[in-house]
Amino acid sequence: MLNHHPSIEMLTDYAAGSLALAYSLSVSTHLEHCSECQQHVRKLEVLGANLFTQTAPENQSLSFLKQSFFEKLTEEEQDRTSETLAENKQKSVKNWFDDYKIPASLRQFVPNNYDELSWMKLSPSVKIATLCDEDGIQVSLTRIKAGAHIPTHTHAGEEITLVLEGAFSDEKGVYGRGDFVSRNASHKHKPMVTKDAECICLTVLDAPIEFTGWLTRFFNPIMRRYHPQTQ
Amino acid sequence: MERAKQTQPDDQLVQDMFAVAEHRDQVALTRLFDHYVPKIRAFCLAAQPGANLMADDIAQEVMIRIWRKAHTYKPEAASLNTWVFTLARNARIDYFRKNSRHQTNIDPDYLFQSIVDENADPFKDAQHQRDQERIKDGLDKLPQDQKQVLYKVYLEGKTHKEAAEELSLPLGTIKSRVRLALHKLTIYIKR
Repeated sequence: MLNHHPSIEMLTDYAAGSLALAYSLSVSTHLEHCSECQQHVRKLEVLGANLFTQTAPENQSLSFLKQSFFEKLTEEEQDRTSETLAENKQKSVKNWFDDYKIPASLRQFVPNNYDELSWMKLSPSVKIATLCDEDGIQVSLTRIKAGAHIPTHTHAGEEITLVLEGAFSDEKGVYGRGDFVSRNASHKHKPMVTKDAECICLTVLDAPIEFTGWLTRFFNPIMRRYHPQTQ
Repeated sequence: MERAKQTQPDDQLVQDMFAVAEHRDQVALTRLFDHYVPKIRAFCLAAQPGANLMADDIAQEVMIRIWRKAHTYKPEAASLNTWVFTLARNARIDYFRKNSRHQTNIDPDYLFQSIVDENADPFKDAQHQRDQERIKDGLDKLPQDQKQVLYKVYLEGKTHKEAAEELSLPLGTIKSRVRLALHKLTIYIKR
Protein backbone atom coordinates (compact mmCIF):
# COMPACT_ATOMS: atom_id res chain seq x y z
CA MET A 1 0.00 0.00 0.00
CA LEU A 2 1.47 3.30 -1.08
CA ASN A 3 1.27 6.45 1.00
CA HIS A 4 2.02 9.13 -1.52
CA HIS A 5 -0.27 9.72 -4.45
CA PRO A 6 -0.99 12.34 -7.10
CA SER A 7 -3.64 14.86 -6.04
CA ILE A 8 -7.20 14.16 -7.14
CA GLU A 9 -6.97 17.27 -9.35
CA MET A 10 -4.04 15.78 -11.17
CA LEU A 11 -5.78 12.41 -11.56
CA THR A 12 -8.85 14.20 -12.92
CA ASP A 13 -6.83 16.20 -15.44
CA TYR A 14 -5.04 12.98 -16.41
CA ALA A 15 -8.25 11.01 -16.95
CA ALA A 16 -9.72 13.95 -18.87
CA GLY A 17 -6.64 14.12 -21.06
CA SER A 18 -6.02 17.76 -20.21
CA LEU A 19 -2.86 17.19 -18.17
CA ALA A 20 0.48 18.01 -19.84
CA LEU A 21 2.03 14.78 -21.13
CA ALA A 22 5.15 15.24 -19.00
CA TYR A 23 2.97 15.02 -15.89
CA SER A 24 0.77 12.32 -17.41
CA LEU A 25 3.92 10.24 -17.76
CA SER A 26 4.56 10.41 -14.02
CA VAL A 27 0.89 9.70 -13.19
CA SER A 28 0.84 6.75 -15.58
CA THR A 29 3.99 5.30 -14.01
CA HIS A 30 2.45 5.70 -10.55
CA LEU A 31 -0.71 3.89 -11.69
CA GLU A 32 1.33 0.83 -12.58
CA HIS A 33 2.08 0.52 -8.87
CA CYS A 34 -1.15 1.77 -7.33
CA SER A 35 -4.48 -0.03 -7.58
CA GLU A 36 -6.18 2.62 -5.46
CA CYS A 37 -5.43 5.38 -7.98
CA GLN A 38 -6.27 3.00 -10.83
CA GLN A 39 -9.77 2.71 -9.37
CA HIS A 40 -10.07 6.49 -9.16
CA VAL A 41 -8.98 6.88 -12.76
CA ARG A 42 -11.37 4.18 -13.89
CA LYS A 43 -14.27 6.07 -12.31
CA LEU A 44 -13.02 9.40 -13.59
CA GLU A 45 -13.07 7.92 -17.09
CA VAL A 46 -16.66 6.82 -16.59
CA LEU A 47 -17.46 10.41 -15.65
CA GLY A 48 -15.69 11.57 -18.82
CA ALA A 49 -17.70 9.11 -20.89
CA ASN A 50 -20.96 10.46 -19.44
CA LEU A 51 -19.99 14.03 -20.26
CA PHE A 52 -18.83 12.89 -23.69
CA THR A 53 -22.12 11.20 -24.54
CA GLN A 54 -24.06 14.27 -23.41
CA THR A 55 -22.41 16.52 -25.98
CA ALA A 56 -24.97 18.33 -28.10
CA PRO A 57 -25.50 16.62 -31.44
CA GLU A 58 -24.91 18.82 -34.44
CA ASN A 59 -27.11 19.08 -37.48
CA GLN A 60 -24.34 18.75 -39.99
CA SER A 61 -24.60 16.02 -42.57
CA LEU A 62 -21.85 13.47 -42.22
CA SER A 63 -22.35 11.59 -45.48
CA PHE A 64 -19.25 13.07 -47.07
CA LEU A 65 -17.14 12.22 -44.04
CA LYS A 66 -18.61 8.74 -43.95
CA GLN A 67 -17.78 8.12 -47.58
CA SER A 68 -14.20 9.29 -47.12
CA PHE A 69 -13.88 7.20 -43.98
CA PHE A 70 -14.88 3.98 -45.71
CA GLU A 71 -12.49 4.72 -48.56
CA LYS A 72 -9.72 5.20 -46.03
CA LEU A 73 -10.69 1.98 -44.29
CA THR A 74 -10.37 0.02 -47.53
CA GLU A 75 -6.86 1.43 -48.02
CA GLU A 76 -5.98 0.57 -44.43
CA GLU A 77 -7.09 -2.99 -44.93
CA GLN A 78 -4.80 -3.34 -47.94
CA ASP A 79 -1.82 -2.04 -45.97
CA ARG A 80 -2.58 -4.32 -43.12
CA THR A 81 -0.39 -7.31 -43.89
CA SER A 82 2.84 -5.38 -43.64
CA GLU A 83 1.74 -3.81 -40.40
CA THR A 84 0.87 -7.06 -38.68
CA LEU A 85 4.41 -8.15 -39.37
CA ALA A 86 5.80 -5.03 -37.73
CA GLU A 87 3.49 -5.50 -34.74
CA ASN A 88 4.63 -9.07 -34.21
CA LYS A 89 8.19 -7.95 -34.33
CA GLN A 90 7.53 -5.35 -31.65
CA LYS A 91 5.78 -7.89 -29.48
CA SER A 92 8.68 -10.30 -29.41
CA VAL A 93 11.01 -7.46 -28.50
CA LYS A 94 8.74 -6.39 -25.66
CA ASN A 95 8.69 -9.81 -24.01
CA TRP A 96 12.41 -9.70 -23.90
CA PHE A 97 12.39 -6.51 -21.86
CA ASP A 98 9.91 -7.68 -19.27
CA ASP A 99 12.73 -9.04 -17.13
CA TYR A 100 13.99 -5.53 -16.45
CA LYS A 101 10.90 -4.08 -14.79
CA ILE A 102 11.01 -0.89 -16.76
CA PRO A 103 7.54 0.63 -16.31
CA ALA A 104 5.49 0.32 -19.51
CA SER A 105 5.03 4.07 -19.65
CA LEU A 106 8.80 4.62 -19.78
CA ARG A 107 9.66 2.01 -22.39
CA GLN A 108 9.38 4.59 -25.12
CA PHE A 109 12.54 6.14 -23.66
CA VAL A 110 14.12 3.17 -21.92
CA PRO A 111 13.51 0.19 -24.19
CA ASN A 112 16.10 -2.14 -22.61
CA ASN A 113 17.52 -1.08 -19.30
CA TYR A 114 18.56 1.99 -17.37
CA ASP A 115 22.25 1.56 -18.18
CA GLU A 116 21.80 2.33 -21.85
CA LEU A 117 20.82 5.94 -21.17
CA SER A 118 23.42 8.65 -21.39
CA TRP A 119 23.90 9.56 -17.76
CA MET A 120 25.48 12.83 -16.71
CA LYS A 121 27.47 12.63 -13.52
CA LEU A 122 26.62 15.42 -11.11
CA SER A 123 28.74 14.08 -8.28
CA PRO A 124 30.34 10.73 -7.48
CA SER A 125 26.98 9.49 -6.19
CA VAL A 126 24.40 11.33 -8.31
CA LYS A 127 23.72 10.90 -12.03
CA ILE A 128 20.93 12.27 -14.18
CA ALA A 129 19.62 11.40 -17.64
CA THR A 130 17.13 13.59 -19.46
CA LEU A 131 14.33 11.61 -21.12
CA CYS A 132 12.23 14.26 -22.79
CA ASP A 133 10.60 17.61 -22.44
CA GLU A 134 7.33 19.27 -23.22
CA ASP A 135 6.72 23.02 -23.34
CA GLY A 136 9.67 23.61 -21.02
CA ILE A 137 8.77 20.85 -18.56
CA GLN A 138 11.70 18.49 -18.19
CA VAL A 139 11.42 14.79 -17.51
CA SER A 140 14.53 12.99 -16.32
CA LEU A 141 15.79 10.08 -14.32
CA THR A 142 17.98 10.53 -11.28
CA ARG A 143 20.14 7.70 -10.07
CA ILE A 144 21.64 8.00 -6.61
CA LYS A 145 23.94 5.61 -4.83
CA ALA A 146 22.83 3.84 -1.65
CA GLY A 147 23.16 6.04 1.41
CA ALA A 148 24.02 9.17 -0.58
CA HIS A 149 22.20 12.45 -0.25
CA ILE A 150 21.19 14.97 -2.86
CA PRO A 151 22.51 18.42 -1.95
CA THR A 152 19.96 20.78 -0.37
CA HIS A 153 17.99 22.46 -3.09
CA THR A 154 14.89 24.53 -3.72
CA HIS A 155 12.57 24.57 -6.69
CA ALA A 156 11.74 27.55 -8.78
CA GLY A 157 8.65 25.66 -9.91
CA GLU A 158 7.06 22.33 -9.17
CA GLU A 159 8.99 19.10 -8.83
CA ILE A 160 7.43 15.68 -9.03
CA THR A 161 9.47 12.69 -7.98
CA LEU A 162 8.34 9.16 -8.58
CA VAL A 163 10.38 6.38 -7.01
CA LEU A 164 11.15 3.63 -9.54
CA GLU A 165 13.67 1.59 -7.57
CA GLY A 166 14.99 1.78 -4.01
CA ALA A 167 13.84 4.35 -1.50
CA PHE A 168 14.72 7.79 -0.18
CA SER A 169 13.68 9.99 2.70
CA ASP A 170 13.54 13.69 3.47
CA GLU A 171 12.29 15.85 6.33
CA LYS A 172 8.72 14.76 5.63
CA GLY A 173 8.93 11.00 5.31
CA VAL A 174 10.22 7.87 3.58
CA TYR A 175 9.32 7.13 -0.02
CA GLY A 176 9.47 3.74 -1.71
CA ARG A 177 8.71 2.24 -5.12
CA GLY A 178 5.71 3.85 -6.76
CA ASP A 179 5.42 6.73 -4.31
CA PHE A 180 4.52 10.02 -5.93
CA VAL A 181 6.07 13.04 -4.24
CA SER A 182 5.19 16.58 -5.21
CA ARG A 183 7.21 19.57 -4.02
CA ASN A 184 6.88 23.23 -4.97
CA ALA A 185 8.83 26.46 -4.63
CA SER A 186 8.17 26.78 -0.90
CA HIS A 187 10.02 23.57 -0.06
CA LYS A 188 13.71 23.45 0.56
CA HIS A 189 14.71 19.86 1.00
CA LYS A 190 17.59 17.50 1.35
CA PRO A 191 16.63 13.99 0.26
CA MET A 192 18.70 11.04 1.42
CA VAL A 193 18.74 7.59 -0.14
CA THR A 194 18.30 4.59 2.17
CA LYS A 195 21.45 2.61 2.83
CA ASP A 196 20.34 -0.76 1.43
CA ALA A 197 20.12 0.00 -2.29
CA GLU A 198 20.60 2.61 -4.97
CA CYS A 199 17.60 4.74 -5.81
CA ILE A 200 16.26 5.53 -9.28
CA CYS A 201 13.62 8.22 -9.57
CA LEU A 202 11.63 9.77 -12.35
CA THR A 203 11.54 13.53 -11.94
CA VAL A 204 9.38 16.09 -13.66
CA LEU A 205 10.52 19.69 -13.34
CA ASP A 206 8.88 22.78 -14.72
CA ALA A 207 11.89 24.96 -13.90
CA PRO A 208 15.53 24.17 -13.10
CA ILE A 209 16.19 23.25 -9.47
CA GLU A 210 18.51 25.52 -7.48
CA PHE A 211 21.12 24.07 -5.17
CA THR A 212 21.52 26.19 -2.06
CA GLY A 213 24.66 24.76 -0.43
CA TRP A 214 27.80 26.96 -0.75
CA LEU A 215 29.78 24.28 -2.57
CA THR A 216 26.98 22.78 -4.63
CA ARG A 217 26.00 26.12 -6.12
CA PHE A 218 28.36 25.41 -8.96
CA PHE A 219 25.84 22.83 -10.24
CA ASN A 220 23.30 25.55 -10.92
CA PRO A 221 24.66 26.67 -14.30
CA ILE A 222 24.76 23.01 -15.35
CA MET A 223 21.20 22.38 -14.22
CA ARG A 224 20.05 25.48 -16.08
CA ARG A 225 21.92 24.52 -19.19
CA TYR A 226 20.22 21.14 -19.31
CA HIS A 227 16.76 22.46 -18.58
CA PRO A 228 14.74 23.06 -21.77
CA GLN A 229 13.20 26.26 -20.46
CA THR A 230 16.52 28.07 -20.55
CA GLN A 231 17.74 26.74 -23.86
CA MET B 1 -27.44 -15.60 -25.49
CA GLU B 2 -28.33 -13.19 -22.73
CA ARG B 3 -27.09 -10.36 -24.89
CA ALA B 4 -29.85 -10.98 -27.40
CA LYS B 5 -32.59 -10.41 -24.82
CA GLN B 6 -31.57 -6.86 -24.12
CA THR B 7 -33.18 -4.24 -26.27
CA GLN B 8 -31.70 -0.88 -25.21
CA PRO B 9 -30.01 1.09 -27.99
CA ASP B 10 -26.64 0.86 -26.22
CA ASP B 11 -26.86 -2.91 -26.26
CA GLN B 12 -27.38 -2.82 -30.00
CA LEU B 13 -24.09 -0.94 -30.20
CA VAL B 14 -22.33 -3.57 -28.10
CA GLN B 15 -23.73 -6.21 -30.46
CA ASP B 16 -22.36 -4.19 -33.33
CA MET B 17 -18.95 -4.21 -31.67
CA PHE B 18 -19.02 -8.00 -31.56
CA ALA B 19 -20.09 -8.12 -35.19
CA VAL B 20 -17.16 -5.88 -36.10
CA ALA B 21 -14.72 -7.90 -34.02
CA GLU B 22 -15.85 -11.33 -35.14
CA HIS B 23 -17.18 -10.84 -38.65
CA ARG B 24 -15.55 -7.58 -39.76
CA ASP B 25 -19.11 -6.39 -40.31
CA GLN B 26 -19.03 -3.01 -42.04
CA VAL B 27 -22.78 -2.46 -41.68
CA ALA B 28 -22.38 -2.71 -37.92
CA LEU B 29 -19.44 -0.33 -38.19
CA THR B 30 -21.70 2.13 -40.04
CA ARG B 31 -24.13 2.10 -37.10
CA LEU B 32 -21.25 2.77 -34.70
CA PHE B 33 -20.12 5.56 -37.01
CA ASP B 34 -23.57 7.17 -37.01
CA HIS B 35 -23.79 6.99 -33.25
CA TYR B 36 -20.31 8.07 -32.20
CA VAL B 37 -18.94 10.34 -34.91
CA PRO B 38 -21.22 13.30 -34.04
CA LYS B 39 -20.17 12.94 -30.40
CA ILE B 40 -16.48 12.71 -31.23
CA ARG B 41 -16.73 15.76 -33.45
CA ALA B 42 -18.54 17.72 -30.72
CA PHE B 43 -15.87 16.60 -28.24
CA CYS B 44 -13.13 17.95 -30.53
CA LEU B 45 -14.96 21.16 -31.33
CA ALA B 46 -15.40 21.84 -27.61
CA ALA B 47 -11.60 22.04 -27.32
CA GLN B 48 -11.17 24.05 -30.50
CA PRO B 49 -14.36 25.71 -31.72
CA GLY B 50 -14.63 25.95 -35.48
CA ALA B 51 -11.85 23.45 -36.21
CA ASN B 52 -14.01 21.22 -38.38
CA LEU B 53 -11.15 19.64 -40.30
CA MET B 54 -9.45 18.65 -37.07
CA ALA B 55 -12.72 17.19 -35.79
CA ASP B 56 -13.14 15.17 -39.01
CA ASP B 57 -9.58 13.86 -38.82
CA ILE B 58 -9.86 12.80 -35.20
CA ALA B 59 -13.30 11.24 -35.72
CA GLN B 60 -11.96 9.16 -38.61
CA GLU B 61 -8.94 8.14 -36.60
CA VAL B 62 -11.13 7.00 -33.69
CA MET B 63 -13.34 4.98 -36.04
CA ILE B 64 -10.25 3.32 -37.51
CA ARG B 65 -9.11 2.43 -34.00
CA ILE B 66 -12.56 1.01 -33.22
CA TRP B 67 -12.32 -1.11 -36.35
CA ARG B 68 -8.83 -2.35 -35.49
CA LYS B 69 -9.23 -2.80 -31.76
CA ALA B 70 -12.81 -4.10 -31.59
CA HIS B 71 -11.55 -7.51 -30.44
CA THR B 72 -9.89 -5.95 -27.38
CA TYR B 73 -13.13 -4.44 -26.08
CA LYS B 74 -14.36 -6.23 -22.93
CA PRO B 75 -17.89 -5.21 -21.92
CA GLU B 76 -17.41 -6.50 -18.37
CA ALA B 77 -14.45 -4.17 -17.84
CA ALA B 78 -15.90 -0.95 -19.23
CA SER B 79 -19.02 0.34 -20.91
CA LEU B 80 -18.73 0.96 -24.63
CA ASN B 81 -19.16 4.70 -24.05
CA THR B 82 -16.19 4.71 -21.67
CA TRP B 83 -14.11 2.74 -24.10
CA VAL B 84 -14.88 5.08 -26.99
CA PHE B 85 -14.35 8.12 -24.77
CA THR B 86 -10.83 6.94 -23.92
CA LEU B 87 -10.09 6.35 -27.61
CA ALA B 88 -11.35 9.83 -28.47
CA ARG B 89 -9.40 11.40 -25.63
CA ASN B 90 -6.18 9.69 -26.70
CA ALA B 91 -6.69 10.51 -30.37
CA ARG B 92 -7.29 14.16 -29.50
CA ILE B 93 -4.12 14.31 -27.40
CA ASP B 94 -2.18 12.65 -30.20
CA TYR B 95 -3.53 15.09 -32.76
CA PHE B 96 -2.56 18.11 -30.67
CA ARG B 97 0.88 16.66 -30.14
CA LYS B 98 1.52 15.98 -33.80
CA ASN B 99 0.16 19.33 -34.83
CA SER B 100 2.38 21.09 -32.33
CA ARG B 101 -0.14 22.68 -30.03
CA HIS B 102 2.13 21.15 -27.42
CA GLN B 103 5.75 20.63 -28.27
CA THR B 104 6.69 17.22 -27.04
CA ASN B 105 8.30 13.97 -27.99
CA ILE B 106 6.24 11.97 -25.50
CA ASP B 107 4.09 9.34 -27.18
CA PRO B 108 0.67 9.29 -25.48
CA ASP B 109 0.03 5.71 -26.60
CA TYR B 110 2.27 4.58 -23.77
CA LEU B 111 0.48 6.64 -21.13
CA PHE B 112 -3.05 5.34 -21.20
CA GLN B 113 -2.77 1.62 -21.33
CA SER B 114 -5.80 -0.37 -20.37
CA ILE B 115 -4.41 -1.48 -17.06
CA VAL B 116 -7.78 -2.70 -15.83
CA ASP B 117 -8.26 -5.27 -18.56
CA GLU B 118 -5.36 -7.36 -17.40
CA ASN B 119 -6.72 -8.24 -13.96
CA ALA B 120 -10.30 -9.30 -14.55
CA ASP B 121 -12.11 -9.68 -11.25
CA PRO B 122 -15.86 -10.44 -11.13
CA PHE B 123 -16.25 -8.71 -7.77
CA LYS B 124 -14.60 -5.55 -8.99
CA ASP B 125 -16.59 -5.67 -12.21
CA ALA B 126 -19.87 -5.79 -10.24
CA GLN B 127 -18.67 -2.92 -8.09
CA HIS B 128 -17.73 -1.03 -11.22
CA GLN B 129 -21.20 -1.60 -12.63
CA ARG B 130 -22.70 0.08 -9.55
CA ASP B 131 -20.20 2.93 -9.79
CA GLN B 132 -21.20 3.52 -13.39
CA GLU B 133 -24.87 3.81 -12.49
CA ARG B 134 -24.14 6.10 -9.57
CA ILE B 135 -22.04 8.40 -11.72
CA LYS B 136 -24.61 8.49 -14.49
CA ASP B 137 -27.52 9.32 -12.16
CA GLY B 138 -25.49 11.71 -10.04
CA LEU B 139 -24.24 13.77 -12.95
CA ASP B 140 -27.72 15.03 -13.83
CA LYS B 141 -28.26 16.21 -10.28
CA LEU B 142 -25.08 18.25 -9.95
CA PRO B 143 -25.41 22.02 -9.58
CA GLN B 144 -24.63 23.98 -12.73
CA ASP B 145 -21.41 25.56 -11.41
CA GLN B 146 -19.91 22.13 -10.69
CA LYS B 147 -20.99 20.74 -14.05
CA GLN B 148 -19.51 23.75 -15.81
CA VAL B 149 -16.05 23.08 -14.39
CA LEU B 150 -16.22 19.38 -15.26
CA TYR B 151 -17.25 20.37 -18.77
CA LYS B 152 -14.21 22.63 -19.09
CA VAL B 153 -11.79 20.01 -17.84
CA TYR B 154 -13.17 17.03 -19.75
CA LEU B 155 -14.58 18.43 -22.94
CA GLU B 156 -12.62 21.62 -23.49
CA GLY B 157 -9.44 19.86 -22.35
CA LYS B 158 -8.48 22.54 -19.83
CA THR B 159 -6.50 21.92 -16.67
CA HIS B 160 -7.90 23.10 -13.34
CA LYS B 161 -5.57 26.08 -13.60
CA GLU B 162 -6.71 27.05 -17.08
CA ALA B 163 -10.35 26.66 -16.08
CA ALA B 164 -9.74 29.01 -13.14
CA GLU B 165 -8.15 31.62 -15.40
CA GLU B 166 -10.92 31.43 -17.93
CA LEU B 167 -13.73 31.72 -15.40
CA SER B 168 -11.79 34.41 -13.47
CA LEU B 169 -12.14 32.42 -10.30
CA PRO B 170 -9.50 31.49 -7.74
CA LEU B 171 -7.92 28.07 -8.35
CA GLY B 172 -9.14 27.03 -4.90
CA THR B 173 -12.76 27.59 -5.94
CA ILE B 174 -12.32 25.42 -9.03
CA LYS B 175 -10.64 22.71 -7.01
CA SER B 176 -13.39 22.68 -4.40
CA ARG B 177 -16.14 22.58 -7.05
CA VAL B 178 -14.52 19.56 -8.67
CA ARG B 179 -13.96 17.88 -5.32
CA LEU B 180 -17.57 18.48 -4.29
CA ALA B 181 -18.78 17.00 -7.56
CA LEU B 182 -16.47 13.98 -7.32
CA HIS B 183 -17.60 13.47 -3.73
CA LYS B 184 -21.28 13.47 -4.72
CA LEU B 185 -20.57 11.03 -7.52
CA THR B 186 -18.65 8.90 -4.99
CA ILE B 187 -15.63 8.94 -7.27
CA TYR B 188 -13.44 10.40 -4.61
CA ILE B 189 -13.90 10.18 -0.87
CA LYS B 190 -11.15 12.04 0.91
CA ARG B 191 -8.49 9.65 2.08
